[in-house]
Amino acid sequence: MSDHVLETKNLTKRYGDFVALNDLTIHVDRGQILGFIGPNGAGKTTTIKILVGLSRPTSGSAFIAGVNCSESASKIKRLVGYMPDRFGAYDNMRVHEYLDFFGAIFGISRSTRRKRIADVMEITDTTYMQDKFVESLSHGMQQRVGIARTMLHNPEVLILDEPANGLDPRARIEMRQLLLRLASEGKTLIVTSHILPELARICNTIAIITGGKLQAFGSLNDVMGRLCPQRSYELQLPTAAQLPKAEEVLKQCLLVTEPVTVSQAECVLRFPTVRTELELAEVLNRLVTAQVAVSQFREVASDLEDAFLSVADDKQPAAVA
Amino acid sequence: MTSIQFFQNPILRRELLDRLRSPKTMFAVIAVAVLSSMLVLMRWPTDATIDLVSQGSLQVFRPVAFAISIAIMMLIPAFPATAFVTERRRGTLTLLLNSPTTPTQIYFGKLCGNVLLSILIFSVSLPALMACFAMGGISINGHIGPLILVLVGMSIQYSALGLWISVRSQSADASLRWTYAAVLALAVLSIGPTVLVGKLTGLKSFIAHWMTALSPIPALQQITGAQAQAGEIGISTGWLEFLVVSCLISIGLAIATLLKLDPLLLDRPRPTGKIVDGTKSGGWMRRMTYLVDPNRRKAGIARWLNPVMVKEFRTRKFGRLHWLLRLVAAGGIVSLLLTVVAATGTVSWGVERIASSMVLMQVALLLLLGPSLGANLIAAEVESGGWQLLRASPISPIRILVGKLMSTVWTLLLLLLATLPGYVVMSYIQPSIGGQVGNVVISLLIAIALVTSISACVSAFCKTTAVATATSYAILLTLFAGTLLVWLARGKPFGPLLVERTLLFNPAAIALSEMKTPGFEQYNLTPLGWYIGIGLSIVCIVILGFRTHRMTRPD
Repeated sequence: MSDHVLETKNLTKRYGDFVALNDLTIHVDRGQILGFIGPNGAGKTTTIKILVGLSRPTSGSAFIAGVNCSESASKIKRLVGYMPDRFGAYDNMRVHEYLDFFGAIFGISRSTRRKRIADVMEITDTTYMQDKFVESLSHGMQQRVGIARTMLHNPEVLILDEPANGLDPRARIEMRQLLLRLASEGKTLIVTSHILPELARICNTIAIITGGKLQAFGSLNDVMGRLCPQRSYELQLPTAAQLPKAEEVLKQCLLVTEPVTVSQAECVLRFPTVRTELELAEVLNRLVTAQVAVSQFREVASDLEDAFLSVADDKQPAAVA
Repeated sequence: MTSIQFFQNPILRRELLDRLRSPKTMFAVIAVAVLSSMLVLMRWPTDATIDLVSQGSLQVFRPVAFAISIAIMMLIPAFPATAFVTERRRGTLTLLLNSPTTPTQIYFGKLCGNVLLSILIFSVSLPALMACFAMGGISINGHIGPLILVLVGMSIQYSALGLWISVRSQSADASLRWTYAAVLALAVLSIGPTVLVGKLTGLKSFIAHWMTALSPIPALQQITGAQAQAGEIGISTGWLEFLVVSCLISIGLAIATLLKLDPLLLDRPRPTGKIVDGTKSGGWMRRMTYLVDPNRRKAGIARWLNPVMVKEFRTRKFGRLHWLLRLVAAGGIVSLLLTVVAATGTVSWGVERIASSMVLMQVALLLLLGPSLGANLIAAEVESGGWQLLRASPISPIRILVGKLMSTVWTLLLLLLATLPGYVVMSYIQPSIGGQVGNVVISLLIAIALVTSISACVSAFCKTTAVATATSYAILLTLFAGTLLVWLARGKPFGPLLVERTLLFNPAAIALSEMKTPGFEQYNLTPLGWYIGIGLSIVCIVILGFRTHRMTRPD
């Protein structure tokens, strides 16, 4: 058995002729945060459901802490804390009672439960809302209570489906800090999100999935390096008057695979390139020689969104570590 | 407003057309058509002569009229009761109120959509009514016309009532519960003072007289030629009074609802919860009431308790201890009051008849609370997303099921226990009644099992609470009130054997038979009726068990 806390091997799920998940193989180590990215209907929730024992794979296997997810569903439920995208509020129930109920159904004794509830409320900064009715909480508050609920039975792995969905910027920053703190305490996290810059800031590992197929998997740098090999450069001019001249010079220097885009409003020209620093210095020299006034010539950093879009558009397996 | 403009109301078009496209509406229409046709067919005279003067056609007309009325009572309130509360919870009410559509258009769109739907439902029984007319002995002006007016009056009144409750409610199931309670109160309890207390004088008599006009029962009795029976128990109102009162109530409810349909009034703050410390302020009174104070912080769920059951109690507004105590106290007071009426001889009813009233009161309470509690058990969990969380927890399906069923059974048992003091007093007054009381209690326990198991079973197959609650009410009212329709038509065409076999399925009828209630004393329904009730409950629980197991296992 490997040392990975979470591991899937050739995981496949079919609903009739429809393939929801196709041969997914990923692994996550202890204390890591896996960002699980994909468009709607990509197979993220199907994977999560298999991992938490709510769905059985058609073929392949999934293990959490060495326990088979489909064969030992009851053990898995104690190893995993699952926060679905829907909060699951109950009417007329206060936050403390809500957490107490979920503690009780996990079989935690009353005295331990009392202490555990206090602990998770402190970790998630929800102590002040313990007497509020659950249905009266704002979305951000409910997300926090949802994380507190998933941590009640002290699971090894936390699976959070869209935890930052609908949060305001401040709540999002707090959520990010909370997830990082949980990872630093040794919890393994799987987080799905459509807010990719958020994931890029917290995840050690990224898995991009489209149409049920894994498109990219590995550390953030690995995935970025493989999916975005071209660098993107930006040429800023002081006025728009010289934009045609600058474009003409660039086209003479660059290849057809390096198309130049012009933004009149910003007085900017952009182009992707695989050239070295020396070759780019020569391009700048040609511009200066042609008497183009250049105010800035800089590299634009690629982000996770670019990487995601590169595979989401192709829908072909690109870079699996 | 022209008729074209009226039908161009987008709310009316949506409310009416969407429902007309629904298979459920088609099912309701077919059910009413089949029911009314069957009743006519069964009571159709075998001799080929037209009877212009006798009561033969009325014997056909009466059950048809009552059956359509019960169908209207069961089916119509469910739609308006969920109309506004569902829109508000989805957030679409704000969108409607922010559109150029006025609150009046929204209100009348919903009201008229519902009334037109009910007219469609009962219009399918017109051929059956005309068949009664063809038999002779009944007229358009004296019977069929007034019946249609009363049915329209009922539709408008119950739709207006449902909309009024809906605009004030916070959840669909609470709205449904209160609407059916209000319909029950308007239809049945309103004739209580006249029937129970008897001869009143002065202002009390005037109020009691007009209270009976709230109910369609006296109107239907007058139309179907049973006014003499109504007169025997002091009811003297008819269909005209019902229509007048119905119009006034509908107008009042429409104004009250329109006043509530204001975006500013709907913008109520959400209750945030307040916890008080019972030890700090107040004297002994404060500390005593603190025991059941809803704002007291609750202790954790004990290990020996089923957490799902505790959760069910805590999530119900009326499941909290202070509400349960109030409910039990009210039940106890009503049962004792009924006993006092019997003991002091205010009316010339015997102990059996008073006990029968208590049975009816208990069954009415069971039917009022049971379906809304049972129908909530699984549908509400699925609707709120809580079911997914329960599935992701290690709790077993059996424990979930037991916890949920027991939360309903305990509530209904408490209600039954609250009304037992009345029986105890009656057994003291008339010791020979003790055995009968025992059998009545067994029948009521079976009624609890039946109400709980059927509504919970329905709940497991529905995705929304509103549908589950309305379906449960419809099934249980059919079982408890529908079987009484056959009893109502006893003698002709239904022979005593068929009536007895039908009543075997109704635990309320078994209890009434055990209490030797007039009209039920000749039927021997025990113990076979008990076995059928227990059998039905077991079947429902087994189906529920399989369904729950299916819903909890991995996909």
